[in-house]
Amino acid sequence: MKKTLAIALALVMSVAIFAACAPSPAPATPAPAAPAANAPAADTPATDAGDGEELYISIISKGFQHQFWQAVYAGARAAAEEYGVSIFFDGPESEADIDVQVNMLNQQLALNPDAIALAALSTDAVLSQLQQAYDSGIPVVGFDSGVPDAPAGQVLANASTDNDAAAALGAEGMFPAIQDQIAAATADSPVIIAVLSQDVTSESITGRTRGFAQRMLTLAGGVNDSVAITGGFGAINTGDADAAVRIEVIVGATPSIVDMTSAANGILTMPGLAGVFASNEGAANGILAAINAGASVPEDVRIVGFDAGTVQKAAVQAGIFMGAITQDPFHIGYYSVSLAVRAVRGESISDVDTGARWWDASNMNDPDIALLLYD
Amino acid sequence: MGDRVKKIQLQKLLAFGSLVILYLFFAYAGRNFVTVPTTLNILAQSYFVGFLAIGVTFVIITGGIDLSIGTVMICSALVGGELYRIHDMPLWICIIAMILVGTTFGLFNGVMVTKVGLPPFIATLGTMMVSMGLGSIITNVQSRTFPTILEADAWFARVFLRSEGNFPMGAVFLGSYLIITFIILNKTKLGRYIYAVGSNEEAVRLSGVNASNWKLAAYVISGLSAGIAAIFFSAAYTVIVPGTGQGFELSAIAAVVIGGTSLSGGVGSVTGTIIGVFIMSVLTNGLVSMGLPAPYQVFFTGVVVIVAVFMDIQRTKKANQVKRK
Repeated sequence: MKKTLAIALALVMSVAIFAACAPSPAPATPAPAAPAANAPAADTPATDAGDGEELYISIISKGFQHQFWQAVYAGARAAAEEYGVSIFFDGPESEADIDVQVNMLNQQLALNPDAIALAALSTDAVLSQLQQAYDSGIPVVGFDSGVPDAPAGQVLANASTDNDAAAALGAEGMFPAIQDQIAAATADSPVIIAVLSQDVTSESITGRTRGFAQRMLTLAGGVNDSVAITGGFGAINTGDADAAVRIEVIVGATPSIVDMTSAANGILTMPGLAGVFASNEGAANGILAAINAGASVPEDVRIVGFDAGTVQKAAVQAGIFMGAITQDPFHIGYYSVSLAVRAVRGESISDVDTGARWWDASNMNDPDIALLLYD
Repeated sequence: MGDRVKKIQLQKLLAFGSLVILYLFFAYAGRNFVTVPTTLNILAQSYFVGFLAIGVTFVIITGGIDLSIGTVMICSALVGGELYRIHDMPLWICIIAMILVGTTFGLFNGVMVTKVGLPPFIATLGTMMVSMGLGSIITNVQSRTFPTILEADAWFARVFLRSEGNFPMGAVFLGSYLIITFIILNKTKLGRYIYAVGSNEEAVRLSGVNASNWKLAAYVISGLSAGIAAIFFSAAYTVIVPGTGQGFELSAIAAVVIGGTSLSGGVGSVTGTIIGVFIMSVLTNGLVSMGLPAPYQVFFTGVVVIVAVFMDIQRTKKANQVKRK
């Protein structure tokens, strides 16, 4: 009897917990900002715009926990206000939660939204949902890393950073500071420029890894005859592990901060290290955790990060990082909604490169840059 | 009894031997493995896993399991970070809060297992999800940061990670905790009953002792340890990301098993566990220093865990044969 009571109690508790968390996954379903004209009829099957119904756009992101996504959300809200549409914004807790994202997408599809903006964790996992949206005439646009290799015609356009080009900016920013070391490198005393990446599967990270390594290969090739890309990202390796200048790609065993820190520690103890490029916030945090734990950065080693975040901003301010590349999360969010609205209206849309900027201690407080640097 | 003690000693000796061999191997094969930064990184990684593993050793000796420790640790750290960054609480209050959150989850696990009668695997699996969700809810799925060695409140890292002169401060705490838990397990009534419950719960109950209270205590110790682990995790890694933490419990449990504690209960030691923790962290950092690509690192870590569990099964088999005789 006592046992039954206890089980009942446990059940009530878990229900209470779920009830408590229910409002939080959908903070974005905007309470109609101004109590203006339109009734918040989000669930009406309105495929045709312009009949006075407020459009409902489902935005499914890759995450929520990095502050990056908060900036994306802010951009989406700004566009929603501008276009007078209603948006739903949510993403899984972890970028490993492919199944959670698929469930979110299914739930949104069931509401028959006017358009969907998606940053897919895995294209394969959402193939049937894309088909379903296509069949029911719901336009889908991609944002951030988009929906790579989606079946033709099912994702109309992407609002995303050109990751290759963004990371190439990092190589261009770092190169002048280490040019002399690169020029002086020989096979006997080689120079290493390391790239720290958290995986070799996601489109954005691989794009950045490739973009930085290849631009650095070109730049370094201008001052030294013996340059090669080596390391754990076979697809871009140019062989020759004995080159005088090695651009070495290091991938953490897992994206966990613990493994990224160990990998960063391995990089910082490499002899001949001249530069390090961290290809996302997680990699930058790993480098900083390794320094926090006791790794030292030699005087002439230059570190360049990616994105922003409290910790990385402090590192740039303190001169531990020479600078970093920021994407424009606000405009990623803004254009995801803008593209979706224009798609519903039947306009022809095409990919938008939302751009990237180099930032360092000298310009991080300029208003136009500060806007892009989330905490 | 004497036989069993001998077996544990042998396993500990074996584990310690493997640790030394591993270390020497990486010192020879790795690039810059024997350096101050790498040593400090191995230690920084061992502190939090060490506390987690010591705590879960108690539960495993009772024949149970605690899968929630990794996410409970992160949840505790997130609560601490939320209080520190958002509510501007002094850091020492946040530290106490972290320990309290961990202990509360431990108590919850203990009640679910001993009073409600849920299987430990299911109860703590539930707590794993509950604590992961709760951490995200409290922080609104935002990462929380603790002060690094360069910021205001640097004393946090100076006290719990490394001192000005690079003295590994965490080792002092972990060492003290090891001694305390060793005494609890070996010299107190609590320890004796935890072993007794693990080797034959029925016999304990028949002898008129309330077995469930001693078991509950083991889960509370596990939760408390996860709360303490949160302090050292925050000091070392400073950025706490909601939705993470899964996987740390497996590193801790693997360390416990490598250290000679049997998953079937009744046998184990915290000193063995600490050796297991260092085997795991030397292994992960050593594989990095060899410049092996990521998949190889994961592969070899897996191999070591399988070998350790295999040895555990062999040991239990032999022990059962002895019993039958």
